[in-house]
Amino acid sequence: MSGAPSIIVPRGRRPQRLSMARVGIYLFLLISAAFFLLPLYVMVVTSLKDMGEIRLGNIFALPQHLTAAPWVTAWGSACQGLNCDGMAGAFWNSVKITVPSVALSVLLGAINGYALSFWRFRGAEFLFVVLLVGAFIPLQVFIYPLVRITSAVGLFGTLPGVILLHVCFSLPLMTLLFRNFYGAIPLELFKAARVDGARFWSIFLYVMLPVSVPMIVVALLIQITGTWNDFILGLVFAGNDNRPVTVLLNNVVNSQFGEKQYNVNMAATILSALVPLVLYFVSGRWFVRGITAGALKG
Amino acid sequence: MPLLIRLRRILPALIALSPTAVFVFGIFLGCLIWTCVISFTSSKLLPNTDFVGFAQYARLLTTERWIVSVQHMAVYGVAYVVGCLVIGLLLAIFIDQKVRFENTFRAIFLFPYALSFIVTGAVWQWLFNPSMGLNTALAGLGVAGLDLGLLASPDTAVYGLVIASIWQGAGLVMVILLAGLRGVDPEIWKATRVDGVSPAKTYLWIVVPELAPGILTSVVILGIAAVKVYDLVVAMTQGGPGLGSEVPAKFVMSLLFERANVGLATAGATLMLLAVLCLLAPLLYLSYFRRGAR
Amino acid sequence: MGGRHVVSAVLATLMLSSSVLAADLTAEVMHPWTSGGEAAAAKVFADQYEAAGGTWVDNAIAGNDAQLAASISSIMGGTPPTATHFNTGKPFEELVSAGMLRDVEAIATEEHWRDVLPQAIIDAITADGKIMAVPVNLQTENWLWYSKEVFEKSGVAEVPKTWPEFFAAADKIRAAGYVPMAHGSNSFWDRFLFQKVLVSVAGPELYLKVLADRDPAALKDPKVVEAFETLGKLRGYVDAGSPGRLWNDATNMVITNKAGFQIMGDWAKGEFAAAGMTPGVDYGCSLFPGEEMVVMSGDIFVLPKIDDPDQTAAQDLLAHVLFAKDTQLQFNIKKGSNPIRNDVDVSSMDACAQHAAAVQAEPGHLVPNPQFLMSNDMLGAMADVITKFWNTPSMTPAEFATQLQAAFESAV
Repeated sequence: MSGAPSIIVPRGRRPQRLSMARVGIYLFLLISAAFFLLPLYVMVVTSLKDMGEIRLGNIFALPQHLTAAPWVTAWGSACQGLNCDGMAGAFWNSVKITVPSVALSVLLGAINGYALSFWRFRGAEFLFVVLLVGAFIPLQVFIYPLVRITSAVGLFGTLPGVILLHVCFSLPLMTLLFRNFYGAIPLELFKAARVDGARFWSIFLYVMLPVSVPMIVVALLIQITGTWNDFILGLVFAGNDNRPVTVLLNNVVNSQFGEKQYNVNMAATILSALVPLVLYFVSGRWFVRGITAGALKG
Repeated sequence: MPLLIRLRRILPALIALSPTAVFVFGIFLGCLIWTCVISFTSSKLLPNTDFVGFAQYARLLTTERWIVSVQHMAVYGVAYVVGCLVIGLLLAIFIDQKVRFENTFRAIFLFPYALSFIVTGAVWQWLFNPSMGLNTALAGLGVAGLDLGLLASPDTAVYGLVIASIWQGAGLVMVILLAGLRGVDPEIWKATRVDGVSPAKTYLWIVVPELAPGILTSVVILGIAAVKVYDLVVAMTQGGPGLGSEVPAKFVMSLLFERANVGLATAGATLMLLAVLCLLAPLLYLSYFRRGAR
Repeated sequence: MGGRHVVSAVLATLMLSSSVLAADLTAEVMHPWTSGGEAAAAKVFADQYEAAGGTWVDNAIAGNDAQLAASISSIMGGTPPTATHFNTGKPFEELVSAGMLRDVEAIATEEHWRDVLPQAIIDAITADGKIMAVPVNLQTENWLWYSKEVFEKSGVAEVPKTWPEFFAAADKIRAAGYVPMAHGSNSFWDRFLFQKVLVSVAGPELYLKVLADRDPAALKDPKVVEAFETLGKLRGYVDAGSPGRLWNDATNMVITNKAGFQIMGDWAKGEFAAAGMTPGVDYGCSLFPGEEMVVMSGDIFVLPKIDDPDQTAAQDLLAHVLFAKDTQLQFNIKKGSNPIRNDVDVSSMDACAQHAAAVQAEPGHLVPNPQFLMSNDMLGAMADVITKFWNTPSMTPAEFATQLQAAFESAV
């Protein structure tokens, strides 16, 4: 994202004042906004209705009697099988998986990017190309051998196992991001530090890390949303005790007794999307930079 | 520089990179090669080394479910990529007209991208529910003749997936292309106005070609997402109705486990890998080989 | 929970191996029973197991396929559960031949399982002369569950006994404004429907020729073609919400009198029971049109090899508890199926269960479902063709037969 023009200043045609075209522009944007907001709106209002109201069939209607019961159920007592423990456990599982995975992968990514950018040696380019390709390979290609490998070392179905896999599969993207970031840093900065006699790790810690804060924030955002939203690694490798929210949500939505509790399902859906949503609305501009950086390079 | 000194100089870098190198060359390439090798064996529940040549591929290419899975992936992929590009481009252009509340609009268009495919699928499954979702709501509003129960028919289920994933992904394209638009030389507008070229034509013939790198990036990212699509299908349709929304990733997963045919599953996985490599080729060429490493 | 259990004096009388004593009898059990009735049945197992001094860790995963995937991957992954569910039949044989399961021969011999099990079940769970699984029930798959209210309001006086009567009744139900057939369409339940229609229209002999021998000539037999046509005709009697619907949601349509009937196995009774309804009284049951037969399926639990004496002891106790007479009766009342052992007194069970027990006792009237007859791979390939046929009204029975043939030939 180095040198990318600012996203803040519009460069389009200079607008004329309040023409039909202007009205058209706003109309288009408003209709589009409605399309993007509609599902969120339906989710929220449905989660606040009781089943009687939902059966009436108007998914757009505001709830007549606000009820928080679906939320309480979704958090504490939604069922999958005999276990009616709600989303709470899985929510914390996702936290337990996400925090260490993200910390490790960002740190390793930064170290790798730094090493690849400033300490060139034979084989580095090959490593880099394999990483680049690796960032895109469908997980299905790896699943089966990975089940065997993780089980051989006793990590299958464990928290450390699923964390390790998340770190492994994040490394390509993280390394690419940091390599590109460090690639844009003036070489003089590095050379000056070398002349002063600084070594590999001290240059990293005292020179590079302080200037990488913006990139680290971006990397954190990419990793937190990516890890939180993972389904397949959690499904196959996390094991019964460590199921993340995505896996539990799919179980809850697709398993219920008697009549489907759509309000509970929607509350559970929002709960499992809460972390990325809050992150998105809180970190705003950083988020945009984060996903475009991740997208552009990875 | 003598070899030994050079080695000493880069030693910390080598150590720092070693976990990644172990991963890349051990797990990563190892698993890749293993998967390819197994796809040439008769492995069932457990992998074996009874090599059968291309037999698994031959079976795969005559298996109805694999064929329709690939067709769905193609239809889904094209509709999803084109849909995201068109909507993303329009949103970017319209947002770039010095509108008020630009930040708010941008936030609204982008937020679905923060959500997982599982969440996206759960929401849209509810919206497409033929007896309670959009259909009933529209009938209640007096809109008739518009059937939005897309997931109820094998002919339309894929488009249900497409709409849900465009909702999720169009914002990303908007952001990427908006960055591109802001990099367009403002002089273009003065020049075209002097020449009397209409804004629409200017966008189509001058501005959009300038956005080529952003468009290419979007195509590659979305295209690969289309090859990988799995979570969304699991959450929204479970592949149904019938085989109406089966996709290759789901085929591989179900052959791997429930149907206990590792040979056939790894053959499918290998073909998916080839598809991704084909999609990646242009990006690799542009971003790496042509520009050259630093 | 989960702490060590000192087994009580009660357990000592069970004459189990002494390694049970002072063992940690925590059993993690994987099963796909997540609907109301099914969960209540699973709870019988859990309660009985805990009453016997163990600790039950429930690991329910929605969906047969998903549960199968999870249990196979955890067994392959070296972290197997203490016991995991399979449907009776071929699907678990590959795990047996891969040497991943332990046998229960010692307990089976000691408790004389062979004396009380139907021969078909003994055959299905025996490998190399050893019993390799704990069978827990015999299910009747070919039931027609119907809403008495819908039948009455649609003017259907008699339960249909033949296919023409059946379609006449379905037409009346539709004319009265109800959904005739509640069905949740996916490859599993479409295949389920297929096998019932096939045996009912073509008879058990042709059924076995098609599914066991996979005789290409049988696929062209007029009676078989008629079965395919009948299946095709049934397509017109479901509602638009059918695809992807869960089977228990479909049962709920009959419970709430939105639909006339559902074709489902006897586990559907569990859903009616959870709604406080009694079979034969509040809703009707009838075996499929044509000559009355019982298409059987069943549930078994397999015990993965685990190198841990505590787990082995837990598996022993589990096998003993699941097969015990008392557990069998209580479990099957909740599950809706019939006890696997023939020495359980079924007189306390409902009218439908007793009827099924009487029919299946007649020679030649117990027909195995396809899971007894083919591998998972072939079962899946066949289901793919069936679900395509079910969801593609333009597909003809002849095309269907050709593609079935191809599926049989491609799979192994």
